[in-house]
Amino acid sequence: MGTRTSRRALVAALGMTVLGVASTLGYAQQEPKRPETTQRPAIEHSIDLAAKGRCQEALPTLKFAISRPAAKQAADKQLEYRAAMATAKCAMSLDQPQTAVNALFLLKRDFPHDPEALYITTHYLSELAMRASQELARTAPTSYQAQELEAESFESQGRWAEAAAEYQKILAENANVPGIHFRLGRVVLSKGESEANAEEAKKEFEQELKIDPSNAAAEFSLGEIARRAGQWDDAVTHFSTAARLDPGFAEAYLALGMSLASAQKFAEAVGPLERYVKLVPDDPAGHYQLAIAYDRTGRKESAAKEMQLEREAAAKAPPSATSATPQ
Amino acid sequence: MISRRRWLELLGLWGFGLHPGLKSLRRPRVPHPLEGPDSLPAFEEVPSSKSGISWTHVAGLSPEMYMPETVGPGCAFLDYDNDGWMDIYLVNSGPCDFYTPPDPLRNALYRNNHDGTFTDVTEKAGLAGNAYGMGVAVGDYDRDGLPDIYLTQYPHSILFHNNGDGTFTDVTAKAGVAAPGWATSAVWFDYDNNGLLDLFVCRFVDFSKAKNIYCGYGAEKKRWYCKPTAYTPMACWLFRNNGNGTFTDVSKETGISKSLAKAWGVVAADINNDGWMDLFVGNDTVPNFLFANRKGRFEEIALLAGVGLSPFGLARSGMGVDAVDYDQDGWIDLFVTNVDHEQYSLYRNNKDETFSDAAPGSGIAAATKMLSGWGVKFLDYDNDGNLDLLLSNGHPDLMVEQRLQNVGYREKLLLFQNTAKGWRNVSAECGPIFARELAGRGMALGDFDNDGSVDVLLAQNDDVPVLLRNNAGRNNHWLGVKLIGRKANIDAIGAKLSYQAGDLLRHRSEVGGGSYLSAHDPRMVLGLGQRKKIDWLEVKWPDPGGKNERFTELPVDRYITIVEGEGSWK
Repeated sequence: MGTRTSRRALVAALGMTVLGVASTLGYAQQEPKRPETTQRPAIEHSIDLAAKGRCQEALPTLKFAISRPAAKQAADKQLEYRAAMATAKCAMSLDQPQTAVNALFLLKRDFPHDPEALYITTHYLSELAMRASQELARTAPTSYQAQELEAESFESQGRWAEAAAEYQKILAENANVPGIHFRLGRVVLSKGESEANAEEAKKEFEQELKIDPSNAAAEFSLGEIARRAGQWDDAVTHFSTAARLDPGFAEAYLALGMSLASAQKFAEAVGPLERYVKLVPDDPAGHYQLAIAYDRTGRKESAAKEMQLEREAAAKAPPSATSATPQ
Repeated sequence: MISRRRWLELLGLWGFGLHPGLKSLRRPRVPHPLEGPDSLPAFEEVPSSKSGISWTHVAGLSPEMYMPETVGPGCAFLDYDNDGWMDIYLVNSGPCDFYTPPDPLRNALYRNNHDGTFTDVTEKAGLAGNAYGMGVAVGDYDRDGLPDIYLTQYPHSILFHNNGDGTFTDVTAKAGVAAPGWATSAVWFDYDNNGLLDLFVCRFVDFSKAKNIYCGYGAEKKRWYCKPTAYTPMACWLFRNNGNGTFTDVSKETGISKSLAKAWGVVAADINNDGWMDLFVGNDTVPNFLFANRKGRFEEIALLAGVGLSPFGLARSGMGVDAVDYDQDGWIDLFVTNVDHEQYSLYRNNKDETFSDAAPGSGIAAATKMLSGWGVKFLDYDNDGNLDLLLSNGHPDLMVEQRLQNVGYREKLLLFQNTAKGWRNVSAECGPIFARELAGRGMALGDFDNDGSVDVLLAQNDDVPVLLRNNAGRNNHWLGVKLIGRKANIDAIGAKLSYQAGDLLRHRSEVGGGSYLSAHDPRMVLGLGQRKKIDWLEVKWPDPGGKNERFTELPVDRYITIVEGEGSWK
């Protein structure tokens, strides 16, 4: 159930951060000065200049080159790739985040599996995130956003008590900041799986929903707590609400289907599971659960077909984070 | 101010590779340290100085990290000399293509001296082994009333015939059950209901020294033990007993070899109450198998039965297995242990050849989230009539602590008490042994002191075995039953018992094998709680006998023997 939400959370986090860099920090996003030419020799020359560190000279042409579809049509893919890489590099060195992000998104779109592109994307986006956090700490050190970032940092290091204390500070100053009770709930769960922690986390998620009734993640978390406790009816209620609040929340459909199946309500599980496999066709979990639901409702042929899809999806699934795989 | 490193860590928290809404639960609960109770703990370690068991397992751990080094060994309780007291057999590693022991290694047979001590009789018995030992299965294949031993090894296994004079003879060649390759668990059971014990042997991957694969990381090429995804699966074996000391490999004609395995554990039980023994096999990184026995041919049904994969549709690292009717609905349920981050599964039988995982919500899934399990067995440790659950744990990779947080190489035992309404983790209340971290692997059950409290033998990898005396069962009444088949297989594998003691009605089944690489006391101990009388006991013998026999006027707090067709107990 996880990898997709993880990815989405990551993308959301990155998106939020990068946009934050562009808007909050107010980097000047100047209109590029129109270069004299965007023909191949000029682009090649600019790439050479970038390689020599002469970014001031190179960037106008590069920027223009990657922004023009005509240039892409005229140039080969390799030129486009090199131009985008050079643009990203120069934009970062000249502190032009919008240009850097444009180049990175171009690379993501046109070279989605290129290792170097993925590497520099990670590298530069983390760099931008770091700059944004520094700017936040410098310009608004007492803001709840700065405290929240600090708390998240503690979380990342497993320093649960310090993270919780930071979140509590935010709530002490403003009890209705959305998202903080949700975070607190996550921190509590991170401390370890126990009935007491689940109960405490549950209260935080419920508190969050009082502040922000549209928080589908909080509903999902409540559902997950119920599911782990074998409280299928509660789980079904929360996952249903999460799916209603965020119709694109694919994992909520899967979790809903799983909970219904666990409650032996296989006929009811079919709908959400069919929805999930449409949304996320390459996740074996959906096909597996749907195959079981079909089987238990007498749809043997559909079950066999779905299980075949499951096996195919599982064969393509990446190894788990804990795998010891050969290198 | 947030550092760049911390930011990257934060990204990690948000989701690289871990489940989202679930990843916040990734750290395990740390059990409270145990405090010594005033009274005897439920399980008490019998030290080597008292038991006389001085043997140690030697894994031959090497820089090349050959997989067999880290997964053994198994162990057994068996009464090899038929004196009514459980003896102990321990399996060691040994010479093979990837290992030349610097000093000679051997398995060990310890004879029970009836006073809590044991004597090493290996040399006389001739049970030393001759290759890299893995596990053991015990069964009287020739119906002479003496338990024989099948020793699984790499690269070939051994069948030891019990001569009845304290010695055994290697009859592997004549019997035709060498099972070349890497054999792991094995089980004796009568698959064709002809009254003879047949032999199923789990095979792990296609492995040899030449096929050893490098698994590791980093510029320094730091090595770790491979996950089995790196290796090719192989078919298990099924050997039909010809009744004349020989066996026929029927793996192909019965459908067993159609399914490629990476098999660690196996248990034989009748999951659909059709009178034919089925097989549940724990596989590592390929789906588990549930071989439904269709009158002598096997249909593999695990996937749609709901016992092959995780709830997320992925194969886990299935290892130890067991089968028992834990909820007393008359249908056999299943259990499989897995590795860290996978949780173990308790599969409740839906009575239609499908199962539902009852581990979530029972406390079992949560308690096993970060553990790696091997030995597993249901037992009524307190003789209250409910079958409890004991789990032996330990991670297979010595290097795991360097690459994973909150996962240890040595792990603690777990004991769950069946309250008849649910499961209660009673590990912390049951003795200091549950606070100790062990390299747990095989685990066998047996009442070595004949007090009606089922004791435990734990095998550790590259370490000494642990013998645990059960003190809890003595607080309740019990009846121990040894079944001897006449028309049915002599070990009565597949027999079903029901008994009534006042308000207590219970059903038990004699399953074949279970746990991991290990064999158990064949006697069943029936817990009565505080009830002092059994009203009746009914035995449903497996085919070809197949009859029901009912007994009344039974004693309590002692063992009895029931021979098929005799209509009485002794």
